[in-house]
Amino acid sequence: MTEKRRGKLEIIADVLKSIQQKNGKIKPTHLLYKSNLSHAKLKEYTKTLLEKGMIEEQIVKGKKVFVMKDPGHKFLLEFERIKEFSDSFGL
Amino acid sequence: MLEAIPYKIRSYVFSPEWFYGFDSIIELIATIVCILLVYYSYKCFKLTKENKYLYFSTAFLSLTLAFMAKIVGTLAIYKPKITRTSLGSSVHQTFNTITPNDINALAFITFVFFSLLGFMMLFLIVSKLTWKNKGVLALMFYFVILATWMSVIHYQLFFVTSFLLLLLITYSYYMNYLEAKTEKTRFVMTAFGILLISHAFFIFVIYSSTMYVLAELVQLLGFIYLLVPFMLIFKKK
Repeated sequence: MTEKRRGKLEIIADVLKSIQQKNGKIKPTHLLYKSNLSHAKLKEYTKTLLEKGMIEEQIVKGKKVFVMKDPGHKFLLEFERIKEFSDSFGL
Repeated sequence: MLEAIPYKIRSYVFSPEWFYGFDSIIELIATIVCILLVYYSYKCFKLTKENKYLYFSTAFLSLTLAFMAKIVGTLAIYKPKITRTSLGSSVHQTFNTITPNDINALAFITFVFFSLLGFMMLFLIVSKLTWKNKGVLALMFYFVILATWMSVIHYQLFFVTSFLLLLLITYSYYMNYLEAKTEKTRFVMTAFGILLISHAFFIFVIYSSTMYVLAELVQLLGFIYLLVPFMLIFKKK
C-alpha cells in the first residue's frame, strides 16, 4: 500500500522534472516520451496535476503545451528535500 | 557523585558543581535538535504515508523525552529552591514524600528507558531490519526494559548499552556514507561517531567528574553536527 503511494509521488515528481527540464513548458508528446509512461497513465497523472494546479494547459502557436506553475515548483522542491533527508539519514 | 537517599533510591548526579546547569543547557540544545527531527520526519510521513518516517520520528521523540527527563531530574538537584516557589510548594504539599533526589532518580530511570528505546529504534531503522516481525520487536522491547532495570542497579551498564547501540548505528551510517558519498551523509555519520565518543566518556564518569564534562561537551558537538545536514537540506531553494 505504502509502496504504491511512494511510486505515485515519484512518478508525479518525474513528470514535473521532465517539464522543468524543458524550461517549464513541454508538449504532451515530449512529456510522454520523457516520463516513460503509457498514454493512459500519463493522461491520468496530468489530470491530477491539472486539478492540483501544479501544471496548466496552454495553447502556443496552435499546439497544446503543459506549463509548470508555482505549486508544481513547490512540490518538486519539497519532494527533493524529503528525498535528501531520507538519503542523508539512511531511511 | 552518588548521593544516598531514603528508600534506597539513589540520585544520579555526575556533574562537578561548577558545571551545574551547563549540562542542562547542552541537553536543551539536544532536545531542540531532536524536536526538529521529530517535526520534519513526521511531516514527511504525513506527505508520503511511508512508515519509515513515522518510526524515525518516534525514535527521536523517545530521545526528546529522554533529554527532557534528564533536564527535569538534574534541575531538581541543582535548583532545589524551585520547591520554595508557590507552584513548587503546592506540588510539594501534594506529594510531600517526594524529595528532589526522588525526582532525580525517577527522571534518571525515564532518561535511561527513553534513551535506550530511541537508540534501539534508530538502530532498527538504519540497519534496515524488518518491522514486520512483531516477535523480534517484542524481544527488542524486552531488552530495553531489561537494560533499563539493570541500569538502575549498575548505571554504568546504561552507558555501555547505549555505547554499543551507537556503535551499531554509526557503523550503519558509515555504510550509508560509503554508498551515497555525499556531504550530508558524511555529516550524519560524523555526528553519530561523535555521539559514540561522548558515550565512551560517559562510561567512565564513575572515576572522574571531568569525564562527565568532557562527555557533555562532545555530545554537544555531536548534536551540532547532526543539525548541519538538516540545515543544508533547507538551505536549498
